[in-house]
Amino acid sequence: MERARISARQLFMLAILFEHGSAMVIPLGVDAKQDVWLAILCGMVFGGGLLFVYYRLFTYYPNLPFTSYSQRIVGSFFGKVLALIYVLYFLYISARVLRDFGELLLTFAYPETPLFILNAVMMLTVMYAVYKGIEVIARASQLFFFSLYWILMLGFVLIIIAGEIDVRRLQPILEEGWSHIFHVVFTQTLYVPFGELVVFTMIFPYLQREEKVWKAGFLALLLSGINLAMIMGMNVAVLGADIVSRSTFPLLNTIQEIRVANFLERLDVLFMIALIVGGFFKVGVFFYAGVIGVADLFALKEYQRLVYPLGISVLFLSLAIASNFAEHIKEGLRIVTIYMHVPLQMIIPIFLLLIAMVKHQKKERKGR
Amino acid sequence: MWLRLRNQNKQQAYQYDKVAQEGIYGTIERDLHANIEKVRNITGNSADIVIRHFLLGKEDNLLSALCFVSGMVDENMVQQLFIEASVQLSFPSMCCDQLDYIEKKIATANTTRRVKQWNDVFSLLMSGESILFIHGMQEAISIAVKGGEYRAITEPSTQLSIRGPREGFTESLATNVAMVRRRIQHPHVWVEAITVGEVTHTNVRIMYIKGIADDSIVEEVRNRLQRICMDGVLESGYIEQLIEDETFTTFPTIYHTERPDSVAANLLEGRVAIFVEGTPFVLIAPAVFIQFFQAVEDYYARFDIATALRFLRILVFFISLVAPSLYIAATTFHQEMIPTSLVIAIAAQRESVPFPAFVEAVIMEVTFEILREAGVRLPRTVGQAVSIVGALVIGQAAVEAGFVSSVMVIVVSITAIASFATPSFAIAVSARLIRFLLMVLAALFGFYGILIGLIWMTIHLCSLRSFGVPYMTPLAPLIPTNLRDTFVRFPLWALTDRPHGIAEETNIVRQGDEQRPKPNQEMRREGDEN
Repeated sequence: MERARISARQLFMLAILFEHGSAMVIPLGVDAKQDVWLAILCGMVFGGGLLFVYYRLFTYYPNLPFTSYSQRIVGSFFGKVLALIYVLYFLYISARVLRDFGELLLTFAYPETPLFILNAVMMLTVMYAVYKGIEVIARASQLFFFSLYWILMLGFVLIIIAGEIDVRRLQPILEEGWSHIFHVVFTQTLYVPFGELVVFTMIFPYLQREEKVWKAGFLALLLSGINLAMIMGMNVAVLGADIVSRSTFPLLNTIQEIRVANFLERLDVLFMIALIVGGFFKVGVFFYAGVIGVADLFALKEYQRLVYPLGISVLFLSLAIASNFAEHIKEGLRIVTIYMHVPLQMIIPIFLLLIAMVKHQKKERKGR
Repeated sequence: MWLRLRNQNKQQAYQYDKVAQEGIYGTIERDLHANIEKVRNITGNSADIVIRHFLLGKEDNLLSALCFVSGMVDENMVQQLFIEASVQLSFPSMCCDQLDYIEKKIATANTTRRVKQWNDVFSLLMSGESILFIHGMQEAISIAVKGGEYRAITEPSTQLSIRGPREGFTESLATNVAMVRRRIQHPHVWVEAITVGEVTHTNVRIMYIKGIADDSIVEEVRNRLQRICMDGVLESGYIEQLIEDETFTTFPTIYHTERPDSVAANLLEGRVAIFVEGTPFVLIAPAVFIQFFQAVEDYYARFDIATALRFLRILVFFISLVAPSLYIAATTFHQEMIPTSLVIAIAAQRESVPFPAFVEAVIMEVTFEILREAGVRLPRTVGQAVSIVGALVIGQAAVEAGFVSSVMVIVVSITAIASFATPSFAIAVSARLIRFLLMVLAALFGFYGILIGLIWMTIHLCSLRSFGVPYMTPLAPLIPTNLRDTFVRFPLWALTDRPHGIAEETNIVRQGDEQRPKPNQEMRREGDEN
């Protein structure tokens, strides 16, 4: 672990940017059609449950990152194996998000630029930030939090002024019933972006005042859930459920609908800012967790030495994980969710929590 | 890498001390002539060292000599001294300690000090005091007659204001310190003296308000100043570069000003001022990013206009940073984002231009930088000629020759004006440098490049510190109470706290409760009835 301290407010803003990250621009939970906002809100509620699990684990070991306390809970060997799996998971997801990001940029603005270049530029920025440490990332998140929020507000106001919103497109609510929505929740929206908060188990220990973790984390989850639900709801209200479910970037299409006073139009740059800033923080947090995890696992004092080798690995991994965008998306929906998100975000943490609870109860009894 | 390079080149250790002070050690002898000979020897018989022999006292019984550096002393005072010493001074018959008596007698007019070591003799002599050697005494008397010519107090040339005091610092350290002290008349304004520079022996003063400034920051400033060990310090810029937190950045982490009221305001906020002999620029530390967008005048004007001006300055900074790169990105990559009629107009103009937008922009920006640099250093009369030539070349001829498009000219002029409108020159310079970097990024990646560049800049800004204070305070880390005095300036009565994180935390409130003006209702004149 690095010697650093971040405040609860910084954690809150970092978590919000992280949650918005790519979730804001990709078609999130669109299988729920016009009820997508409901699916996101439900995902948030269950995500709150997962966050509580991570939080409880943290309260047992407030000074240790996940990769350390896994060893305390299930013993040195299995703990290390588990930590290694998680570290690889973090790095893999950061590569995935990087790929997402590069592909998005490629399709909508830079059709002739090689993916490698786009990814490399982004990765260099992320590496620079991670090299500077969590304090700097947290501080930068405070600056970007406000700029992102202003941009979102601006977009929202412009869409309302442009008169594009038609609430009837959100009806009928619950056309296919709750079961369909829960199906979407448990296959998609719970894991991305809410379950991904598992990466913050590596960042919680940096908090100045540990008692504030729950408040900051929970508020961030709540706010980002509501925001994402609003964004996707807005997309549906502007474009209609049909177009949204077929679109690659619903938010972009929505923004392109804005036409105000024959002057404010084609505001793609707003979308681009949201995409780049969000992508930066998402890749950054995952990559940071991966790097810190490796340093922690192999007891390296200076994690900075790992930034360049691991960064370059992630960059190449982002190109190598899929041969094209369709394959990449399919992997994300079919394979990653079932074989990575479900066990690593849900099953293992709950399992670890149960063991930790039993262990601590035993300890308490012994203490008496 | 730099360290390694430096160490390779370093064949011998810094030893100026040893070389220079050879022969200066030791104490004064009894023999006057030997002493004078020594002064002559060590100073290489320099022409500006005046040595005047005379007989001390009415009875003419003491052969003595007065040494001083001409030009650095007040001639009137020296004259006075001679009269006092040779005409008025008379020894009582039963004298106990002649030296003591002389010192006390002369002290009626001047501050004196007895010195024994040659070391002290020379440092005092060179600082502008005169030294009185008396035959047969093992000690000399140093008499403070510092003087000489300094530039008069004039209006500062870099930070002008419409409303506010007109005086600016001068090259005289004592005058500068006094100008600030006159503004804050409190015994807790503490001034510490430090001498920096092994050859120049430059006087430096650290000024802060005890109890308001954070002790640890004062301690840090003191330590960093004492660390300096080099031949010379000629301007506060030397010190700035030697004590700043991060060398490899374009952003200034120490503020400098020419205005005493600015220094006073910063001292009241708990900062530390560093005065350097021989320069009107006073350093202020710690400095945060937002400070470079604030002018003292903001506090003299009412809060509404001050707030509006601050927003304008931030906007101006961004314009001077990204205007040319936005032009490059929009015309090269994102034509679809410009309204149709405008893009047609731009395209029509650019048709005759033989260069890509990036080259066009670089040519114009570099031309402008050349013109500016030429204008800055030239005498004022020639400078006007340069600006006329520049206006013609940039303004018309280049466009008519089909060299650049007229839109580019507009962009360059907006950028130029914006960079002049930034209140602090130091931050305008860093925007000037980063602008070129952003132009390259824009030429390579369009808006993506600009955004990535700005993210890099933000991370870099967040990683900076100034004397331990994060550079982006109070934005990141966010300190809500301090936000009252950043982009907006709240009314003075709402600025209740000194800046958190900079001033001493235990004593942070700076005004009494309820400072908001409340006109007495009964005082209202009934104007309507008339």
